[in-house]
Amino acid sequence: MKHRVEKLACVAMALGLSACATVENLTPTAARAPASGSYETLPADRLIGKWGMASYREEKDRARTERIARQCRQPYVIAKGPTDGVMMHVADDSQQYELALKRARDGKTYLGFATPPGDPQDREIVSMTDKEMIMRFVDPDANTRYGTFIYVRC
Amino acid sequence: MTTQDTISTRRSMRPWLAAAMVATVTLLAPSFAQAQAASAAAQRETMNVGDEPGRISTEETIIRDGPYARQLVFFRSNEPPGTLVIHTSERFIYYVLGNNRALRYGIGVGREGFQWSGLVKVSRKAEWPDWTPPPEMITRQPYLPRFMAGGPGNPMGARAMYLGSTVYRIHGTNQPETIGQSISSGCFRLANGDVIDLFSRTNVGAKVIIRHSAQL
Repeated sequence: MKHRVEKLACVAMALGLSACATVENLTPTAARAPASGSYETLPADRLIGKWGMASYREEKDRARTERIARQCRQPYVIAKGPTDGVMMHVADDSQQYELALKRARDGKTYLGFATPPGDPQDREIVSMTDKEMIMRFVDPDANTRYGTFIYVRC
Repeated sequence: MTTQDTISTRRSMRPWLAAAMVATVTLLAPSFAQAQAASAAAQRETMNVGDEPGRISTEETIIRDGPYARQLVFFRSNEPPGTLVIHTSERFIYYVLGNNRALRYGIGVGREGFQWSGLVKVSRKAEWPDWTPPPEMITRQPYLPRFMAGGPGNPMGARAMYLGSTVYRIHGTNQPETIGQSISSGCFRLANGDVIDLFSRTNVGAKVIIRHSAQL
């Protein structure tokens, strides 16, 4: 089973973020680093809510994709997970899993299972504010097939 | 020979083609033989619920062998060259060349209850068209984006020719193995390489005749 939800052990205790914090402004909360490596987990509460979700592959399509996501048709709902993660889907799987925000040593932020950041099943967070998130799958195949996702808060 | 054997698929990726080419939209209502059996559900849908976004089928994919391979055929018709004639029951689309000749392409058609007939015109053409999954597909595959800009993983495929003011299109597919089948919601699909070829020959305003014979 490729899914490793049972391994999820993210800790995200520190809340109280500023309303418009970017990914870079998030406060790491990794008081407990997984044995597999040292990385920080970040509070994921800001992902909770309803989002318009659309994808594009070429930069020329980004603006209109964003406009369509803003329409919030059939919004994608992100709920709080049993621990401190959020309930979301991974590529090609209709089941929801608890995923965590993780920061890699190089400063990049990922969303995924409790594995070192940059795992093939992770999403890389390209940008994130309280109103909009842009992500793409780390797995090159999934990234090619689905493109870059824009989430706009409804 | 399996269906898969009849398909030539190269998975090499090519750079993206030019942006969607939008011609003047002339919403031309069918002048006779109104669309039949086009259910309300089909009217709402933009694609078939069985489609699989994310699968890759590049513009090189064509049907090379078997009855659904593109081929020059004898085709008795008084229609002017450039006319498209779709025989739903036979799973063929004919591009009329004149002198009783036509180019014939294999197609996938609407599933039972979603097949129709009529006379329309090509109202618009688009390269790598966008795709909006229908609600029931989102229910089944909630991880899908609610809108996907055109590209190789898009079920609409490499090209689309919009039929009059209807919701139906002649388009490509990322599932070329479905050519010859009846699984769509009323659209007509070709392998990407074939739809690119047909797209290049077909002009906006071209006459499209859809014929459907009931099967016993």
